Amino acid sequence: MGLYKNIIKADYLQRTRSYIFLITLLGSVYVAYSFIPSYDSHYITVRVNNFVGKNNLAWIGHVTAIMASAFLWLIGFYLVNNSIKRDRETGVGQIIATTSVSNFEYLLAKALSNFCVLLTITFVIILIALGIFIFRGESGNFNFIQFLMPYLLVTVPSVFLVSVLAIVFEIIFGNKTNLLNVAFFCLFGVIIAKTNVGNYSGLVYIDPLGIKYLANQMVEAVNTISPSSTNDFSAGYLFSKNQKKLYFDFQGSDWSVFFILSRIIWIGIGFCLLFIASRMFNRFDSKTIVLSKKKNFHLIVSEIKTEAKEIQLSKLSKATPQFGIFPIVKAEFLMLIRKGPEWFWLINFGGMIALVLLPINKAYQIVLPVLWFLQINRWADLSTKEKFFGTSNFIYSSFKPLHRLLTSQILAGFLLAIFLAFPILIRELIAGNLISTLAIIVGSLFLVSFAIFSGIISGGKRLFEILFFAVTYAIINAVPFVDYFGGFHQDFQYLILLIVVLLLVLIASFLLRNREIKNQ
Amino acid sequence: MKLEIKNISKQYDKNKFGLQNFSMTIENGILGLLGPNGAGKSTLMKIIATISNPTSGQILLDGIDITKKPNQIRKILGYLPQDFGVYPNLNAYEFLEYIAAMKGIGGTNLKDRISQLLEGVNLTDAAKKPIGTYSGGMKQRIGIAQVLLNDPKVLIFDEPTVGLDPEERVRFRNLISDLANDCIVILSSHIVSDIETIADKVAIMQNGKLISQGYQQDIIDAVKNKVFELEIDKNALNEFKTNHLILNTVRKKENILVRFVGEVRPVNATLCNATLEDAYLFHTKK
Repeated sequence: MGLYKNIIKADYLQRTRSYIFLITLLGSVYVAYSFIPSYDSHYITVRVNNFVGKNNLAWIGHVTAIMASAFLWLIGFYLVNNSIKRDRETGVGQIIATTSVSNFEYLLAKALSNFCVLLTITFVIILIALGIFIFRGESGNFNFIQFLMPYLLVTVPSVFLVSVLAIVFEIIFGNKTNLLNVAFFCLFGVIIAKTNVGNYSGLVYIDPLGIKYLANQMVEAVNTISPSSTNDFSAGYLFSKNQKKLYFDFQGSDWSVFFILSRIIWIGIGFCLLFIASRMFNRFDSKTIVLSKKKNFHLIVSEIKTEAKEIQLSKLSKATPQFGIFPIVKAEFLMLIRKGPEWFWLINFGGMIALVLLPINKAYQIVLPVLWFLQINRWADLSTKEKFFGTSNFIYSSFKPLHRLLTSQILAGFLLAIFLAFPILIRELIAGNLISTLAIIVGSLFLVSFAIFSGIISGGKRLFEILFFAVTYAIINAVPFVDYFGGFHQDFQYLILLIVVLLLVLIASFLLRNREIKNQ
Repeated sequence: MKLEIKNISKQYDKNKFGLQNFSMTIENGILGLLGPNGAGKSTLMKIIATISNPTSGQILLDGIDITKKPNQIRKILGYLPQDFGVYPNLNAYEFLEYIAAMKGIGGTNLKDRISQLLEGVNLTDAAKKPIGTYSGGMKQRIGIAQVLLNDPKVLIFDEPTVGLDPEERVRFRNLISDLANDCIVILSSHIVSDIETIADKVAIMQNGKLISQGYQQDIIDAVKNKVFELEIDKNALNEFKTNHLILNTVRKKENILVRFVGEVRPVNATLCNATLEDAYLFHTKK
């Protein structure tokens, strides 16, 4: 037990002392707070048809537990999915590999550490929910059991599962982080997909997030007061001043034995997945990775010992000063396109063909953001790779590093974004949609600038990965608030707004990087 | 060319200093920096290389304060950091092109210059392979090649021989000697023999301060006629340590051969020729 405790403690402290944890925690607090709108708000979050629960303790507990479960799957996965990678990169993994700890014990400790990190966020969300109930002076039954049970039976098992999945995905995908991100995005999309929750069906038990059971209970409650009501449940921000809201007094859920059993089974599935992953885990043996690859990329080049030569200083060709940035842009662009497996470009080209063939609105609003999302790994470390790869000492001792390098990085990232968007850009231009054409260009630049900005403020790529994942998911669900490329707002005013935000992000990036360089 | 370091301090917090009122003047030739871990060698080199700002003080390069105008030295700087990485997806040629661009070097000669440098560090065969596949020594040689991309006049090498095999170390020393004719070369190393072989002048640092500097012979003269060797019983070593400043010990069959510094020659002790290593240990241990 001491072994687990020490690994979990070290991992937990390392994670919770990072900026990215703090930012995620603050984001969670904001989402939890905003997910319980007051009665006079112009938006609603969880609803069944037009019915919204009165803000009693049971409703607040259910709504925030749903939010926490989905949010921590969506965001939490990206927060914790690097624990094995970090051990590999820091070399700690090789030390662990020489100890008596078994693969399963190691992976379990890592999963439990992930779990503790996400539980910390869950705990804060619970406090926020309670605080809202107390300080907003909401009336209703003080049913603490119905407040807490959704967390215990829905959020906690759900968070455990995503903690395990983060480990399992790391084992399966290894260094292929691009594939890992995309695979989880697809998995999450499938799990969260809407199903008919109106009737008790097996689906509510096979939902790893546990949300569908709560949704079903809410629908049941509405059906008792409005039998003619349809079973239209939705969770998410719905903005409308004229939204018709009908309040009902939600008393809580009926916690069936089957549901409790299903949650226990999901936890058991988590342990099984960990066990299977432990059989696949190579215990940081890099040779195992190399041999399993057709292309021996990581194999050390063996040197052919020929007659050794020396640098003849007097015979070196003359170095000519040239301060243009084109070679830097070229190298940055090369690094962007070489990331990830080569066959991944087939998917990218498939996406570009879809941009040509699909109806223009679908191509613009869905295919384009997804195609950009697939490049998440290419853009995520655009401004942090000097630190990650240890080249910053070369770079920052060179001539005017701030303006030349940052500009080159933005241009290289923008070139990639615009290259991928090229088919839809041409289509919009041919269709005479000048606003949309400009919005795609601005969106491309914004995307890259935001990746750079996120990297600078967080010092790593995780913040961008988390936010880009959340934004893309929201866009696919047609949430207009996060429309960074004008897909849902094809008007001039919105374009101006995008340009203003873009300029602010760019200015902030330059100022922050300048301060960073000066304060080294 | 003259580099004047005037009262440079680097303070991390209230009680933690990287450098404290460090002053010295460096002119063309090779300066060897010696000091134990944490002495402030890398901090000093980073400040001269303009990637770290001092808390106070000035560094003048031919009269221009490079802490205020860093681009003045960056144009003529060649810097090999102690810990550096590479971009694994670029090959050696592309990586050097990238660093050349960052240094503001280009033109039609660049390709030839990169090829010549790669040949000079014996990486021509591997030049088109991703650097991610290179061994540690090969990466170190890429680091050495990038230093020379821009005809540097100020060269800073922080632990440059790490990862190099003995032959490569010799070639590197020859290169440094060639460079020193019309450049300032600052070189730090834990391997005193590297410094001893090539440095004109030596500076010894400890706890962020300069404790000794000068030509090698002047430094060595501090322990001239004070270094002895004596074979003693193994059990007597602890007591001997309390009374003498021990530089080195060699275990023999029954006894231990002790090399130490002392003002007076003990009975049976042999007087030895002092080395830079003796002087360095004397300064840092006393």
